[in-house]
Amino acid sequence: MAPTPDWVKQLKPSGPQGHELLAAERAKSDLPVEQLSELLFTKEVLQKKQRILNVLKSEKVFDKSQNYFSGRTDRFEKALARAKKLRNLRVKHNWDLDEYRTATELISEPGPYGLHDSMFLITLREQGTPEQHEVFLKKAKNYEYIGCYAQTELGHGSNVRGLETTATWNSKDKTFTIHSPHLTASKWWIGSLGRTANHAVVMAQLIIAGKSYGPHPFVVQIRDLKTHEPLENAHVGDIGPKFGYNTMDNGFLLFNHYKAPHVSMLARFSKVDPDTNKYARQGSPSLIYGTLTWVRSTIVMQAGSVLARGVTIATRYSAIRRQFQDRDAPQGEKGENPVINYTMVQMRLLPLLAATFALHFTGKAMMDLYSENQKQMNQGNKGREDPNQRGAGPEETQSGSDILADLHATSCGLKALSSTIAAEGLEMCRRTCGGHGYSSFSGIGPWYADYLPTITWEGDNYMLTQQVARYLLKSARSVLANQAPNNDTTRILTDFRSRSEIGCAFDIIGSDSDIVSAFAWRASFLTFEALKHRDEQKKPWNDLLVDFYRLSKAHSQYMVVKNFHSALTAEETRGGIAGETLDVLRKLYRLYALHTLEQEGSEFYVSGACSRNQISLARTNAVMKLLKAIRPHAVRLVDAWAFDDWVLDSSLGRKDGKVYEDMFYRASELNPLNRITVDPYPDSEVLFKRIEGRGEGVRSKL
Amino acid sequence: MPDFTSRIRPCYDGSLTLETERRSSDIDVEELACHLLSRDFLRRQRKVLQVLQGEHIFSKTQQMNLSRPERYRLGLARAKAIQRIVRRHGWDDDHYRMAEYLNDEMSPYHLHGTMFVTTIKEQGSEPQKAYWLPQIESWSIIGCYAQSELGHGSNVRGLETVAKWDPVKKEFEIHSPHLTASKWWNGSLGRTATHAVVVAQLLLPRAPSGKPTATRTGLPTATAEPKRVTAAEEEFESHGPQPFILRIRDERTHQPLPGIVIGDIGPKYGYASMDNGYMLFNHVRVPKEAMLSRYAEVSDEMGTLNRKGHPAVVYGSLTFVRGQIIMHARLVLARAVTVAVRYCCVRRQFRDRDSRSEDDEEMKVLDYPTVQIRVLPLLATSFALHYTGEYMYKLYHQSRQTIEKGDFGPLAELHSASSGLKSLCTMLAADGIETCRRAMGGHGFGGGSGLVGLNADYLSKPTVEGDNWMITQQVAAYLIKKMTEAVENREALPKDPTDELFQFYLKSRSHRVPQSIANEDGLIDDEAIVDAFRWRAADLSYRAYQARVVEQKPWTRLMIQLHSLSRAYSEQILVTNFYNSLDSTPSTLSEPTPLVLRTCFRLYALFTLDSFASAFTLTNAVSSDTIYSLPDVILELMADLRPHAVKLVDAWSIPDWLLDSALGRSDGKVYEDLFDRAHRRNPLNRVTFDPRWESEDIVLGSGDGGRQVLAKL
Ligand SMILES: Cc1cc2nc3c(=O)[nH]c(=O)nc-3n(C[C@H](O)[C@H](O)[C@H](O)COP(=O)(O)OP(=O)(O)OC[C@H]3O[C@@H](n4cnc5c(N)ncnc54)[C@H](O)[C@@H]3O)c2cc1C
Ligand SMILES: Cc1cc2nc3c(=O)[nH]c(=O)nc-3n(C[C@H](O)[C@H](O)[C@H](O)COP(=O)(O)OP(=O)(O)OC[C@H]3O[C@@H](n4cnc5c(N)ncnc54)[C@H](O)[C@@H]3O)c2cc1C
Repeated sequence: MAPTPDWVKQLKPSGPQGHELLAAERAKSDLPVEQLSELLFTKEVLQKKQRILNVLKSEKVFDKSQNYFSGRTDRFEKALARAKKLRNLRVKHNWDLDEYRTATELISEPGPYGLHDSMFLITLREQGTPEQHEVFLKKAKNYEYIGCYAQTELGHGSNVRGLETTATWNSKDKTFTIHSPHLTASKWWIGSLGRTANHAVVMAQLIIAGKSYGPHPFVVQIRDLKTHEPLENAHVGDIGPKFGYNTMDNGFLLFNHYKAPHVSMLARFSKVDPDTNKYARQGSPSLIYGTLTWVRSTIVMQAGSVLARGVTIATRYSAIRRQFQDRDAPQGEKGENPVINYTMVQMRLLPLLAATFALHFTGKAMMDLYSENQKQMNQGNKGREDPNQRGAGPEETQSGSDILADLHATSCGLKALSSTIAAEGLEMCRRTCGGHGYSSFSGIGPWYADYLPTITWEGDNYMLTQQVARYLLKSARSVLANQAPNNDTTRILTDFRSRSEIGCAFDIIGSDSDIVSAFAWRASFLTFEALKHRDEQKKPWNDLLVDFYRLSKAHSQYMVVKNFHSALTAEETRGGIAGETLDVLRKLYRLYALHTLEQEGSEFYVSGACSRNQISLARTNAVMKLLKAIRPHAVRLVDAWAFDDWVLDSSLGRKDGKVYEDMFYRASELNPLNRITVDPYPDSEVLFKRIEGRGEGVRSKL
Repeated sequence: MPDFTSRIRPCYDGSLTLETERRSSDIDVEELACHLLSRDFLRRQRKVLQVLQGEHIFSKTQQMNLSRPERYRLGLARAKAIQRIVRRHGWDDDHYRMAEYLNDEMSPYHLHGTMFVTTIKEQGSEPQKAYWLPQIESWSIIGCYAQSELGHGSNVRGLETVAKWDPVKKEFEIHSPHLTASKWWNGSLGRTATHAVVVAQLLLPRAPSGKPTATRTGLPTATAEPKRVTAAEEEFESHGPQPFILRIRDERTHQPLPGIVIGDIGPKYGYASMDNGYMLFNHVRVPKEAMLSRYAEVSDEMGTLNRKGHPAVVYGSLTFVRGQIIMHARLVLARAVTVAVRYCCVRRQFRDRDSRSEDDEEMKVLDYPTVQIRVLPLLATSFALHYTGEYMYKLYHQSRQTIEKGDFGPLAELHSASSGLKSLCTMLAADGIETCRRAMGGHGFGGGSGLVGLNADYLSKPTVEGDNWMITQQVAAYLIKKMTEAVENREALPKDPTDELFQFYLKSRSHRVPQSIANEDGLIDDEAIVDAFRWRAADLSYRAYQARVVEQKPWTRLMIQLHSLSRAYSEQILVTNFYNSLDSTPSTLSEPTPLVLRTCFRLYALFTLDSFASAFTLTNAVSSDTIYSLPDVILELMADLRPHAVKLVDAWSIPDWLLDSALGRSDGKVYEDLFDRAHRRNPLNRVTFDPRWESEDIVLGSGDGGRQVLAKL
């Protein structure tokens, strides 16, 4: 392609320039952006991010400019190069785990060491004995052993008890034989397994003397440490291209009577005694559920910032994108309207903007509660390990008996709700950008594609709602049995029950805390309804799944509203920000809550939490007023999320508003397709006539 | 690679599962297929499929691994191959379109055969048509349609590219005054086209005061607001956007002509095989004949614009195009549902919770209501789309002659409604694909789902041909106008179904009793369902009229309400047409198909009703008991439909080759195919990487210290 001619270089976008438009937006509001950022992240974290970002930006290998163009193999290759570089940087700068994670987050693409760094190390640490730590964990920490976590199979994901891979104990030579009896037993989807790992934690059905003891974890070497070729009788590879996540080598793995030594079964909680050949459980794996809770709480918290990226991009772009004059504009008024002024655009973006904060505060509250509890557990009942007690899974715990059980169950529902909001919100943001949203340069599409698995892993979002429902039903039963409430769930259920004769009258338009009560009311109503179906009418479990799904959603929405509300009333928040900022945050709270209420209107109405008239008012009046009141602060609010342009990698979302210049630059200068001249005529077999940089005469044919 | 894997089988036999499913329903698949698609279509599909399947170039096995330039190259190769095949077999247009449908990607030639040629045909004068059409048909030129710009898409009147008339030389000067004037998004422009229809603001010299620069003959079009022009162009006046046909690349070298800069706009969410392009002009001179002048022409002597006639045909064909969009949406949705239904039958997960025996098999996930509620209403929706699309076609063909005369006849109403239908139907299909994909858990995310490419390509549809949110305003504006007329003249003779509805509404408004969708015996009352949808649409129209006309509320503030109105109105159309078809189909279909279709109707309608329950109660359309009972009714309807699910999707007759989905295979060999793709067809598995972080080599043993990778950045 010929170099860009001067007359093109001199062209500017018409009308007010992007940076002027954004400056005008920022001038409309005096929200203190930095202060709000510090409330979200703290000053230290922001500084740390900046420091790490500077390091990353200075490394050529992290250059993103060709990311959107490459094919699968190239993308993976680059991702591996980046993973290695990142590890080098960690050593060089002596980064701790937190700093390393921050760097990964800033790079924003899944990398081939991803599962080694997370699930592989965690599982070894949590489920291995001290001896096994010596054998595996040390080398794993040094990346001599690079691992992955192989649970899911071709035939089973959600149903872990249904896994088909077997590990049969051989009493003679004291080994396990790992085997895949069917094609559906093949491990599948396993991150970092396809091309990278030389070890795997493999979940397999433990079989001793013909009897099955359920799935257990085994550490298995799968590739030669030198040649990196698969070991004999382990058949491993990458599963191929996907919707997103293409920088990760999700893999498959089959075993053909593969022998593994006794030490490979991770034995902290259960073991096979090599002398007696007997199976024994020891200790309580409640720690593992703790980890799960932590992982889910992280998903909730991240959902806020995941979504905030899309919202940042779409909000800035809609302030710059001008299309049509206002229909009611006075004659002679100049210029077109930025599309953010259309309520149709506001209605899609601003509730999502509110959701970013709602999810952030909810995730944060959960993390805090979790750490608080962890601390107490570590202090208090260290000696409580009872070998016969199966640990604190949601089903197994005494309902209402402790806060961790509550947190565990609610984290399931919140994981489902928050990742759904984030995923759907991103797509909504992309569509709100109109045609340019469809371009990869919007930065939203690729980000969305990589985020999508979150709604499926760590518990499929629909499946998880059954766990929540099960927990709520148990809690409701304890309330019916007149047990005293001992956590938030039993409290709202008790409260509902005590007022079921009197009914309620919540002022959802006028009072912030009444909104929380209305959400609690509806969730409690649905809980007792479901209980009636199950216990009184004896309906089959499966017939109730849709009810359960709705119930869990209602409960999780209550949690989000409650947590957002308490964050705003907390001393910590009020101390950190100016009164005006707090006022805007309160408006966001109300927008999130009332918008949700209005969307789920019929449930609120049927449960008696609100009247038809209130719902109608919320819709036509309150929400519209809130949109209008928040509108001037929109750009500053997204600024507070403090995304660096390098991280967003988006033409539409640039902080300086140079949308069109950047779109044009990427299309004309970075786009490899434009180096190719084609022969377009159908009767010619030549496809590419000339490829720049490869000399004349390079032709490609049919 | 060691290969003990070739002997190994899945735990459950997928083929057997689907066979059992098919045995559990008595639907005559072939009969239903003919009813939906026509015998001709099916015959054509078989014939074209056989030819394409035989050509290696159409194999999709590597498609998802390719880089963007490689995808385009493949796209061009396929486009060329199709052209040759068409010639070799002497295929007509229908066969050609079938080939495009089965090839299932946006061809770099796409715009040549659609918008480019259509615009010339519809907007070109007779001499222009005589000059251009033969060249288009012989493919000695290749065209595209360049309307949207970097700065403007929806607002066509805001386009910035100008075509300035030079009264001395009697020619136009095409120019891009700003960066945002750059043409953008135009399909086939980036690398392929030699010619373009370019839509540009026509600038004519301002007449000495007093004399108009434009004269009109025939019907007026919507008045063009004069575009403000810059100081230097003070003496020129804009006459709104007009189409020009321009030569943009040299036929031999295929380089852009002097003064024109063209390129591809880069990678997108989907459409990888298409070269959507950008284009800028630097004072490019073109002859007077470049302006397509069937409806408007610049007069030589006066330099004024003469408008002639009313482009009714253009609107007529727009309605036709919208009909096509709906008929396409139905097949797209059917395809996603086909994959989801088949896979969710083969996929088993968990034993029934209430099961007491260890020997029970695991449940098919389609038997879980939380899976059903995502997939089955969409299955029903594919039929709802079908009957409305068909209705639009029928009306279009019936009124074709009157359209040619500039009169829409019965189509007028549908034309206005078609924006709302476009918006609703493309959204249902786009969201439906994604819902189906997610219902399939982890494997839905994999390339083997067959929905990844479909999703990515189809997601353009909610935006193109009128942004789905924006265009709902047109429907609402139309309904407000109709309601105003109905209020002002309550006794006028109704001209169309909307008039009838509105008059009925106005008469019964004061004494409306919210309806129950079940009659006294607890049976579902289909007429009551239709009534509820119609009432909601009418009531929302009245509210919109009240807010805009009576209370004079600002338009922008009403937009959200207007959007809901458009949706409600369009849903009413889908429900009504579906319902009407129930009466006309039984004669041609054998049992139990008519009954099953009725179940589909109810499921679609009641699922929709439930999703918008509060709008139905707020408008007094249905009683609150109805709302309360809906979840159970819906569960029952899904249970009724469930045994027929596989056969219903079979009836859509989407060939395996087109599905390109391991999960959706008609023979149920899901796992075998997934494994085959991963193991045997995955290029990544041919490379051994060096995973140790201390080594800079990325490919094991390459010894290049990672330089190759850096070179690719
Ligand atoms: C990108 C990606 C990376 C992954 N990485 C890893 C990894 O590193 N290691 C690993 O072990 N796994 C990994 N996984 C696998 C992941 O954990 C599973 O995909 C997930 O657990 C969902 O299980 P499934 O795919 O079997 O879904 P299924 O269980 O087959 O779900 C299919 C459908 O059935 C429904 N369903 C299933 N059971 C029920 C029920 N009882 N009641 C109602 N509905 C039901 C679900 O809601 C869903 O709609 C990864 C997956 C992806 C997509
Ligand atoms: C894959 C693809 C192929 C295309 N091919 C072609 C082609 O071949 N030729 C061609 O000329 N063009 C083409 N286009 C361009 C396409 O026609 C435009 O993108 C489309 O018309 C939308 O316009 P826009 O991008 O300007 O959206 P915008 O109008 O900028 O929309 C941005 C947002 O503002 C909202 N909005 C805009 N105006 C209003 C209003 N008045 N009231 C309320 N809300 C409003 C929209 O709803 C949207 O959310 C293509 C686009 C795509 C994605």
